[in-house]
Amino acid sequence: MTLIESAAPPVAGRRPAPGFGSKFVKVVTTTDHKVIGLLYLCTGFGFFIFSGILAEIMRLELARPGLQFVSQDQYNSLFTMHGSIMMFLVAPPLAYGFTNFIMPLQIGAPDMSFPRLNAFSYWLYLFGGLTVVAGFLTPEGAASFGWFAYAPLNDIIHSPNLGSDLWIIGLVTSGLGTILGAVNFITTIITLRAPGMTMFRMPIFTWNMLVTSILVLMAFPVITAAFLALEADRHLGAHIYDVQTGGAILWQHLFWFFGHPEVYIVALPFFGVVSEVIPVFSRKPLFGYKGLVFATLGIAALSMTVWAHHMFATGAVLLPFFSFLSFLIAVPTGVKFFNWIGTMWRGQLTFETPMLFCIGFLLTFLLGGLTGVLLASPPIDFHVSDTYFVVAHFHYVVFGTAIFGFFAGVYFWFPKMTGRMLNDRLGKVHFWTLFIGFHTTFLIQHWLGDIGMPRRVADYKASDGFTTFNTISSIGAFVLALSTLPFLYNVYVSYTRGEKAVGDDPWGYGNSLEWATSCPPPRHNFVTMPRIRSERPAFDLHYPATAAGRTDVPATGELR
Amino acid sequence: MLVEGFLFAFLFLFLSATSVVYWLTSHDPTGFTVLLLSGGMSFIIGYYVLFTARRMEARPEDRDDAEIAEGAGEVGFFAPHSWWPILMAGAFTLTTLGLVFGPFLILIGGLALLFAVSGLLFEYYVGVNRTQAETLSTVVATGNSPTSERKFLGEDH
Repeated sequence: MTLIESAAPPVAGRRPAPGFGSKFVKVVTTTDHKVIGLLYLCTGFGFFIFSGILAEIMRLELARPGLQFVSQDQYNSLFTMHGSIMMFLVAPPLAYGFTNFIMPLQIGAPDMSFPRLNAFSYWLYLFGGLTVVAGFLTPEGAASFGWFAYAPLNDIIHSPNLGSDLWIIGLVTSGLGTILGAVNFITTIITLRAPGMTMFRMPIFTWNMLVTSILVLMAFPVITAAFLALEADRHLGAHIYDVQTGGAILWQHLFWFFGHPEVYIVALPFFGVVSEVIPVFSRKPLFGYKGLVFATLGIAALSMTVWAHHMFATGAVLLPFFSFLSFLIAVPTGVKFFNWIGTMWRGQLTFETPMLFCIGFLLTFLLGGLTGVLLASPPIDFHVSDTYFVVAHFHYVVFGTAIFGFFAGVYFWFPKMTGRMLNDRLGKVHFWTLFIGFHTTFLIQHWLGDIGMPRRVADYKASDGFTTFNTISSIGAFVLALSTLPFLYNVYVSYTRGEKAVGDDPWGYGNSLEWATSCPPPRHNFVTMPRIRSERPAFDLHYPATAAGRTDVPATGELR
Repeated sequence: MLVEGFLFAFLFLFLSATSVVYWLTSHDPTGFTVLLLSGGMSFIIGYYVLFTARRMEARPEDRDDAEIAEGAGEVGFFAPHSWWPILMAGAFTLTTLGLVFGPFLILIGGLALLFAVSGLLFEYYVGVNRTQAETLSTVVATGNSPTSERKFLGEDH
């Protein structure tokens, strides 16, 4: 009798919870832009951790004079792979992850224009990335010619190892994924906007991704072709990058014609993220929306014309042209800072974790930008080229934008992605350890470079006088690495049993359209959509008294 | 659609002007060529967008007084899920690995790629998932895309 009682009758119409197999198939065959976005974010973060470990091994080696942990050759592989993974497999994919998830929501689209092409881009990125990393499994080790693989070091005589080939073709594969992703973004933004969502009502993040995608279309085909030409040199006996015919400079031109826009491909999406976060936590509309859009366009246009400032030390480029344009690019960037500060000016600021990361971004990127202005001047560049001053400069730029911006975006959009909030206290621990760790690591490297420590060396003598600075830098690097632990714990705890996100707009003052749908959004994003009458439709929906274009509701008092 | 077109037109003008200045001041063939090609790409996209914009009325997303209801109707076809993207990417990776490990992989990968591309292209036109065949025959018969009525309001005037 008891047996019969305890056996629950099957509930009609209710299927058993899906097992691992069907969940796996669902993810592998997905064409949902939100799932693909999360895949991009998770894969990108996985590569970030891997590449970060490579960096920690390097800092461990450099902490004291003498070779303690790795050989010179292994060190070459480490800095090569660290740089290329961060620049190709971490920063753009993290931006693509946010774009995939957020951009269709922001413009009121049901999905990407080409859902299957979107999935194809992601898988190309994953397989290409794994090909690059597989170099570590080959007998002679991974690629070791530096992330910009200068000719003639990249030819078959100087770099005969399999790892170099895997690096080249892996980046071709992932580069194709990046190009196709950009095509998809541009098409989606041009063709799938909701009625009333004119170009000058699009959120800044969407604008910045449109401009970034255009940059990708200009820069990535050049480097992909250059990589394939390099393979032809290495295996088919072509002579494209022969030293006798100026191939070394040809490679540098082609590489940096990609390499400089790449810096802005890394930075612009996160400028967009910050431009989304700051107004929400300042309780003010974005200050100078159109100025920000035109500044982004200005940066994009100028960034195509400044590539050879990476080649000043070759003595083979037109110094005045590239120096002038590099100085000029500081103007639109300054306009952006003006807008961000103007947005915060006299706002009702609150410092939740996303906002903290934005402040961290502003400080860090400001310093990186200022040293960038210094480096645009050839006399200074000649002095500090290929020293740790440059290392410090570009870490301030790319870490300041990509990583601070990435974390700001994760804390900001986590409730939209999962329906749960990230823990704010753990987030603050994460921010402060990250911020202090980062600045301890890299601020001192400016002086290290100034007193003459060259980049890409595994060792130095005690008599060089670099020891103290290097030790401080290494300690900072380990604080920086430890800062990832509270974040990972936070994501795990908050994802499984975190505080539930309340309503469509858990932050209370969300502006763009993604805050007008549920957390997480349904399969095709919107059940209903509000009228779009300004660049912040969700805010107009939630605060009708102050909504743009509304005359039937009287505006009452000041908005708190 | 005009703003999108002007965006690319601006890039075309800026990049072609810069490439001329750069050539006159440096005589560097590499940088001149890539700048000119970037300008050319902007020209192609910008011309196409402006060309299309001239031939249609402003879409609801181009007008700042449009109501959401104006976008009602079929937006387009969105594949619910598909095996082909990952298979295509796998085949492509196999082909590129052939550049390193030997021509036999290029052959295998190339055939796999052909198979996967065909699979992706015909996924919704043949077999169990056939939903688009009607649409295809409409396109062939009339020369119009099924959404053209909604998107290209100005064509019949």
